[in-house]
This record gives sequence, C-alpha cells and structure tokens, in this order.
Amino acid sequence: MNIFWHEIKANRKSLLVWSAVMVLLVLTAVAKFSAFHNNPESLAILDSIPKSVLDGMNMRAFNLVKLDGFFGVVFSYFSLMGAMAAAMWGSESIAREERDKTVEFSLVLPITRSKLVTAKLLAALVNCVLFVLITWGASALSARAYQPDAGFYKFLGQEMAAMFLIELVFLAMGVLLGCVLKKYKLAGSMAISIILTAYVLFVVSRMHEKLDVLRFVTPFRYFDAADFYKTGRFEPVYLALSAGIIVVCLAAAYLVYARRDMMI
Amino acid sequence: MSTNIYRYEVRVRWKSVLIWTFALASLLFIFMALFPSFSAEAAAMNEMVANFPPALKSAFGISNLDLSSVLGYFSFCMVFCQLCFAIQASNYGFGLVSVEENEMTADFLLTKPVSRSNVLRSKILAALTSLLATDVLFWLMSYASIVLFREGKPYELKILLLLLGSVVVFQLFFFFVALAISQLVRRVRSVTPYSLGLAFGAYVLNAFAGIFGDVKLEYLTPFKHFDTAAIVLDGHYNLPLVLLEVGVIILALGFTWLRYARRDIPTSV
Repeated sequence: MNIFWHEIKANRKSLLVWSAVMVLLVLTAVAKFSAFHNNPESLAILDSIPKSVLDGMNMRAFNLVKLDGFFGVVFSYFSLMGAMAAAMWGSESIAREERDKTVEFSLVLPITRSKLVTAKLLAALVNCVLFVLITWGASALSARAYQPDAGFYKFLGQEMAAMFLIELVFLAMGVLLGCVLKKYKLAGSMAISIILTAYVLFVVSRMHEKLDVLRFVTPFRYFDAADFYKTGRFEPVYLALSAGIIVVCLAAAYLVYARRDMMI
Repeated sequence: MSTNIYRYEVRVRWKSVLIWTFALASLLFIFMALFPSFSAEAAAMNEMVANFPPALKSAFGISNLDLSSVLGYFSFCMVFCQLCFAIQASNYGFGLVSVEENEMTADFLLTKPVSRSNVLRSKILAALTSLLATDVLFWLMSYASIVLFREGKPYELKILLLLLGSVVVFQLFFFFVALAISQLVRRVRSVTPYSLGLAFGAYVLNAFAGIFGDVKLEYLTPFKHFDTAAIVLDGHYNLPLVLLEVGVIILALGFTWLRYARRDIPTSV
C-alpha cells in the first residue's frame, strides 16, 4: 500500500500535464465545431474529398454537422493521447527505479517483486481512470453550449469506454516493456515506436480495402469510433483480442520481472 | 571543437540514426506503394472539387491538394515522416546535455580541460551530424520510392527539392527548442515524455488546423510553417513563417548558449 501511494504521488505531475493538454485539445476542438454546427455547406465539401483520404483521417463515417459525429472525428486524438499516456505510465513506473538508481532500495523491501509490480500497475491504472474521467468531464461540459441530446451523451460514454480499453491495452504493453527490457532507456522509446507503428497502420488500414486485414494488428482499430458510431457496440472479437493481449502482456511481465537481473 | 567529444557523441547516436532511417523508409514505402491504386480514385474526385467556391475550399486545406498527382500524394505521406523527424530531433535535443546529469557523468565531463561552451559546441555539432545523416538517407529513399511507384506520372523536381529541403529547418526547430527547454527545467529525468509532448503537441495542433481549417493557434507549430500541402500548392515556402521559425531557432540557440555556461549542474553528491 505504501508503494501504491508513493507511486500515485510520483505520477501526479505527469497526470496533471497530460490532463491539461487534453482539456486544451477538447476546448479547441469544441470551439472549432462552431464552424460546422448546422452548416450543411461544409458537408458538401467533405463529400468531394477522395474517399480514401477521409477514411485515412477517419472522417467519412461521421456527420460532422452534428455534435456526436464531430466527436467521432476527435476521438482518434483521444485514443492516441490515451494510448501514449498509458504506455508512458506503464513503462516509466517500472523503468524509473533503475534510472533513478532506487531499484536496490525497492527490492530489499520485505515484499515480493510481483507485489511491487502490482502496486505500480494499480497506481498507473488509477491514472488512466482519472485521465478518462477528466476527458469525459471536459468534453461533456464544453459540449453543453450546443445543447446536445441524450444520444450524444450515450455516444460520448461509449467513446470514453473505448478510450479506457485502449488505455488498458497500452498500459499492459508499457508494463511489459518496463519489466522485460534490460536497458531502462529502451522502454520509453520502444513504447513510442509501437504506438507510432500502430497509429500509422491504423491510418493506412482505412485507406485501402486490401489492407483491411491490418485491423487485427493495430489496437486503434479494435475500438474505432467509426465502427461503434454505426453499430452502437464493440465487436466481441476485438474485446477478446484486447483481453488476450492484456493477459499475455501482464503474465509475461510478472514472470520475467520476478527473475530478472536489475541494471544497477 | 573537441574532436573526442564530437566523435563519442556521433558514435552514441549512429544506431538510433539507423533505426529512425529504417522507420522512415518503411513509412515511405508503405505509403507510396499505395499510390497507384489511390491515384485513380482521387482523379475522379478532383473534378468535383474544382466546382466548389474558393472560400469554402480554403477552409479545407487538403481539398485543394491534388492527391492523384505524385507530389500531392507524397506531401500527404510526408506529414507522417515529419512526425518522425520531430520526435527524433526532440529526443536528441532533450537528451543532449541532460543525459550527462541523469547518468551522473556531468561532473566527469565538466572537469575535463575543455570549456563548457566547447562541450556544448561539440555536442551540438555531433547531434546535427546525426540529424543530417538521417536527412540524406531520407532524401535518397524518398527519391527511390517516388521513382519506383510513380507509374510514369510526371512530377516537378523543384517542388520535390523544396519538400525534401524543408525537413532540415524543421528538425532544427525541434532540436533547438527541445535543447532550450532542457536548460529551463531543473532536470530532465526521462527524455521520452518530453519529446512526445513537444512533437505530438505540434502535430495535433496542425492536424486540427488541417481538418477544421482555421488559423490562429496553428502558427505556433512547425508542421504549419512547413505545411507540405501548401508547399506543393504554392510552389514555394511561406517566407514569413519560415523566417519566424528561423528566429525561434536562433533565440533558442542563444538562450541555451548563455544558460549552459552558468547552469548549476545537479550531481550525485
């Protein structure tokens, strides 16, 4: 428990910075929505943009004149930010000990290594939950100016659930990287490269039908606003896939960390 | 300049340069390989776009862009390359001198018989060498990917050179701004979150400008200063913005230069 609270405190600043950026993002996005609000002309323009470009930017599926359609587009950025923040929190909280040369201290405490990982994981998880809640609150509050209907709030709730699930996947991945990589410096950069690759694959996978198989490769496609905007639910396949990724990552992380040499 | 420091710094980074080059290469080739199937579809849409009133079109930067042309498409794909360049350059910038403070090697380095400005100069030059090496490899691969996948369509060499050349100043911006920020804060404990924030912050600001077409905040971001779509459309750089960017670079460099000479260096004791 002590470790948990210590970790919460250590992560606090990072959570504040990420949340501030997120709130800024939501505010600018909603401010820009005023250009689209009940303005069918801008839709006509959108119709003329090549299909694959719109798909790449994930804009075709949405009715941008309506608030929920607009938030569907903004969701790509929510999920990207959520993924980055979660992966950073996951990998940093483990790798930090070796970087700051505190790992010897933590590991001679009278607890098992897996308990240490659990405490860190839970603290990072709390951060992820708070991050989603803050995003949710900021979006709901700033959208109020347009008097959205109940449908919007339902869709927003779904987006936030999707963002949380994406966070979970990348949090597990981050923890795995932090636990497995012998060089603590690699953890962060590996996490970035995985996220960037996943993001680019996400963009590319929407551009061409032949590349649609990539949808199983990139977690951003698992919870794609364009899909659940239409169907109103998450596909069980993707839920199962992400659960699988999370379980495998965490299991590997615990196993490896329990018997690993630390860099001192 | 101290050759020892310079050589050491270049050696530390060569692996990272190779990895980034590999990432850029895969990005270019994946995107450009899609060009043939993409351009056919885009050509049909272009005719429709031509009929829209210019005021509305300008609100959507991208709709002006002819994605069926080689360079139009290339500029679309280059935004992602820019993102990579931004992260790489900010990584190098944030880590350049702060890495010594994190690994407790700053006292070792600074007790060598070289002045601080000499240390800084050698380090900056080494990092710039690594960045330039990435550029050169990137240029070669861009050219290769265009030649391979352009399907006999014409493209203007001058505009391609403008596009490719823009990455140099673009990198310098992120490198020097990151370096200046690393001097402002007391300690950069880990480089990645900082560089992610800087690079993605700039990218997201620009992406918003691209989709929702409004320009105020967006002047802050180099992605807008070197808006690849605008370069292809206008056939030249947006000079005031480029000058603004160069100004920021010089300011950041000057600040770092003065600050590092008298900075209080945190050590292990």
